Amino acid sequence: MTPPLLRGPVRVAVALAVVLALWQAVHLAAIVPERYFPGIPAVLAAFGDMIASGDLLSGWALTFSRATIGLIAASLLGIGLAILSDLSPVFGRGFRYISDVLQPIPPAAFVPMAVFSLGLGTKLYAFVVILVTVWPPYLNGSAALEAVSPVQVATGRMLGCGRWTLLWRIKLPSAMPEIFAGIRYAATISLVAVVVSEMLSGSNGIGFMIYKKAFALRTADVFALMFVVGLNGVLMNGLVSLLRRGVVGWHQKMMERQE
Amino acid sequence: MTDILTARNVAKDFGGTGGTLSIIDGLNLAVKKGEFVSLVGPSGCGKTTLLLCLAGLQSLTRGEITFKGVPVMEPPQGLAVVFQDYSRSLLPWNTNLDNILFGMRRVAGDARAKRDRAAELLEAVGLGGFGGHYPWQVSGGMQQRVAIARGLASESELLLLDEPLAAVDAQTRADMQDLFLDLARKFNQTCLLVTHDVEEAVYMAQRVLVLGPRPTKVVREVTIELPRERDQLETREDPAFLAARHEVLSLIRSMRTRKAA
Repeated sequence: MTPPLLRGPVRVAVALAVVLALWQAVHLAAIVPERYFPGIPAVLAAFGDMIASGDLLSGWALTFSRATIGLIAASLLGIGLAILSDLSPVFGRGFRYISDVLQPIPPAAFVPMAVFSLGLGTKLYAFVVILVTVWPPYLNGSAALEAVSPVQVATGRMLGCGRWTLLWRIKLPSAMPEIFAGIRYAATISLVAVVVSEMLSGSNGIGFMIYKKAFALRTADVFALMFVVGLNGVLMNGLVSLLRRGVVGWHQKMMERQE
Repeated sequence: MTDILTARNVAKDFGGTGGTLSIIDGLNLAVKKGEFVSLVGPSGCGKTTLLLCLAGLQSLTRGEITFKGVPVMEPPQGLAVVFQDYSRSLLPWNTNLDNILFGMRRVAGDARAKRDRAAELLEAVGLGGFGGHYPWQVSGGMQQRVAIARGLASESELLLLDEPLAAVDAQTRADMQDLFLDLARKFNQTCLLVTHDVEEAVYMAQRVLVLGPRPTKVVREVTIELPRERDQLETREDPAFLAARHEVLSLIRSMRTRKAA
């Protein structure tokens, strides 16, 4: 049993305090020149200033909504492609080669090319974010659809399920826990892709702000913004977990039971 | 009485890289309406493949299977399979009640009537209070009861039982055997039980069909000369039970030694 003092919010607070203390120690020891590594109070002050001016909130809203919309679109597309691969093994095998080639390309590498053909705007974000975020839901989904238990499929057929009912009532629910594991992973990728795109070709959003502040050597601002990106990831994971509990809560309870 | 299920000259090959593998060849059988028939055979003889073919879940290489006089191409309505692997056969994302309702998807009737019927069936298999539970929240024996209720819910006339009790413990197995016999009578089910347990095969059935080694076919039919009413103690001590058990066991043993030699 974990002692009650080390549970939940207390644990988070302790971990955070340790990190902040280390940070401040490095700052005070002046291992890195102070202008490149500001102390916690300076970062907090920068954070407060950006909140007060309204810049942070508007930048955050843009970045977070881009990442969220991108994640939703990429997840739906990934699930759709996984279903297509399941219905047509020929498509599945062929598409696997394409995904193998596209998957290792980092989001930053797509941006320059996309700027020329799609311009600087929503289309660029949509293209880059979806192209790097689609893989975990797709790969997890197609593997899980392939791995559906033959007994489950036989049960469905025995009860008269056709191809579509089998997909909807047996295969997809069975694959959903794996698909959600993929979406959770994709959430972080989506956020990274949005921030990188904003840095390279954006005119607003957290990524753009980081780039601008970095060139102005406003390091305290840059660190404050980096924290915001990190917290975005936590928020996004929280939202995915909420959705996951709603859709595949049965699986989590079943797993807890088997432990 | 009429035959509800027949197999005529059935053969099943599996194509592999090293040529074809013949699992079933020249198999004939007939099950009459209302009968309880057991299928036994040496291990690995293709019992489960045969059952999947009979259920329309696997295609035949040669021959014909009919259910109620109609050739079986796809799983027909009125035929339900109870699988050995109940934990996979029941859908873990549905509650026990919803699993039974899923069994009724080809049955006519409004949602309300179906719910009532599903609740009745849960009661009939002794799981009255467990409709809201998930299958993985109840024991193995209870899961198999849900699977039976689901079969009955599909308005089955013929139950194909694929080693349904192989995975439950011995005490539960005896109770479940009696439950099967009881339900078969109450719901007018014809039953074909595939099992590797010869005592179970004899205890449950009016007829035991013995399958030969691969490629398998029915090599002997043993009629069980016991009253329809069975009892775990009395029946198993009855000379007719012991004689049938002896006949089937010695036949299977002779097939094993012949194979080893």
